[in-house]
Amino acid sequence: MSLDKITNPLHIRHWLGDMEADYIYTLGIAGEHFFKEIKENGRIMGAKCPRCNVVIVPPRMYCEKCFAKLEEWVDVGTKGTIHTFTVATIDVDGKKLKEPVIFALVKFERGCGGLIHKIGETKTKEVKIGMNVEAVFKPSFERKASINDIKYFKPTE
Amino acid sequence: MFGKKRVAIVGAGLTLFRRRLKETGKELSYEASKMALDAAGMELRDMQSVVLGTAPDAFDGVHMKGEYLADGAGAYRKPYTRVFVGGGTGVFTPLAGWWHVASGQFDSCLVVAEEKMSSCYPHPQYAFTTIFDPILERPLGMNLIWIFALEMHRYMHKHGIKKEDIARVSVKNKGNALDHPCAQLGAKITVEDVLNSEVMAWPVQRLDVSPTSDGGAALVLVSEDVAKEITDDPVWIDGAGWCIDSTLWTNRDLYYPDYVECAARMAYKMAGIKNPPKEIDLAEPYDPFDYKELHHMEGLLLCKKGEAPKLTAEGVTQRDGDLPINPSGGLLGVGNPIAAAGLMKVCEIFWQLRGEAGKRQIPGDPRTGLAQAWGDLMQYGSVIVLRR
Ligand SMILES: [Zn+2]
Repeated sequence: MSLDKITNPLHIRHWLGDMEADYIYTLGIAGEHFFKEIKENGRIMGAKCPRCNVVIVPPRMYCEKCFAKLEEWVDVGTKGTIHTFTVATIDVDGKKLKEPVIFALVKFERGCGGLIHKIGETKTKEVKIGMNVEAVFKPSFERKASINDIKYFKPTE
Repeated sequence: MFGKKRVAIVGAGLTLFRRRLKETGKELSYEASKMALDAAGMELRDMQSVVLGTAPDAFDGVHMKGEYLADGAGAYRKPYTRVFVGGGTGVFTPLAGWWHVASGQFDSCLVVAEEKMSSCYPHPQYAFTTIFDPILERPLGMNLIWIFALEMHRYMHKHGIKKEDIARVSVKNKGNALDHPCAQLGAKITVEDVLNSEVMAWPVQRLDVSPTSDGGAALVLVSEDVAKEITDDPVWIDGAGWCIDSTLWTNRDLYYPDYVECAARMAYKMAGIKNPPKEIDLAEPYDPFDYKELHHMEGLLLCKKGEAPKLTAEGVTQRDGDLPINPSGGLLGVGNPIAAAGLMKVCEIFWQLRGEAGKRQIPGDPRTGLAQAWGDLMQYGSVIVLRR
């Protein structure tokens, strides 16, 4: 049932305008380290805060809790667990997606924090909170230092 | 206390909330402001300062939206500022107005919140796609609904909550909104309607979500001295709290809003509230999704963690229950023009405490009420406590 009557704005008196602008973002100091390791070595890195004694994933240049500058990079491995997930069935326009997409928050044993990513090589009915997963990387020649260098995480069991 | 002055609300105004209104954002701001001034029996010249709250510039499609809306909000040649803390803006705006007056700098402040989401074409969801981290999250094609689905799922998992336990919130709030003259989505629906509505991103379904909307809201704030001159029914701002959590939302558990608790404790301390469920007569927690009402009741310490669904099932949160929650109909029922929706909640508490809420009036003699909003990428909490 639809409770909200959406009217076509082009049928009312209107003015079409836009706010076009393109952007170029830098990866940043910590981001450059993070993505370089993903691209060149297929490793997921965190940054260690010596004061709080935690490894923050993804790494940052500073600890937001104590404001220490972080300079020690730690490999947290490519395996983690699903902290929570969703099965997306419609896109931003409200149209049905061809295939449902599973998005999960993956947490790592050796680090605090985590990564949002897709879950692959499984069925929507089989995904569970607490499931062990592992990062699947694109072949190294296809990697571009992007979060999409990780294709998805797949269940390990 | 610390030389702070007591601040009163003496008038409130609210426009219709609709998917698309003919009025421009400036005109919506004017309508709400004029209504609040009329209700207070005051003129624009009586206002010494103006605070405007409005969400991302991308909705109205005007960068420098604060300046664009200024004249509609009554700011011509006045000390004026725009505040913006995402979805938390609507409750944060009167907090900013409060410190204008509590500081002693001004005796009055016009507080205005506006949102015209329909200008964003084809859908305001497009403005939300650019709120994510441009490097870590946006390349994945993130969509706002999905991250709430992640949070909702974590909350359900942690406490073993079923979808029907959550759907009752949507049923209650859309039902309450039938009595609200400004409401966009008042409706008599059932738990089954919610459970059978379109799945957007499991576990979020169409009727779990509030609608995007256009609308405006406003309040007139004055110092204690002025309040005593102009009204017998001032409503006092006795508690103010706000807090932001880690913006790396992957670094939180998501099942519990710590930042809401932090903001609530700040407000309760100021108001001298020791036992929130006993001392608060009604509350308007932020409910852009049905699970958020429950999540926020817990963060506001109105019940134990995981207990809000049970209170809802028992009818405690109905208008005639022991702790009415969102008697206005909330965002789920009245609509969600982001900043205006948050301020609508403060307007509702104001009217309820003055006995002016009409068909929505809760029984008894409410003396203490609370409104809360939540925003940014799930990490901002703003809380206001009002007393008669
Ligand atoms: Zn630290």
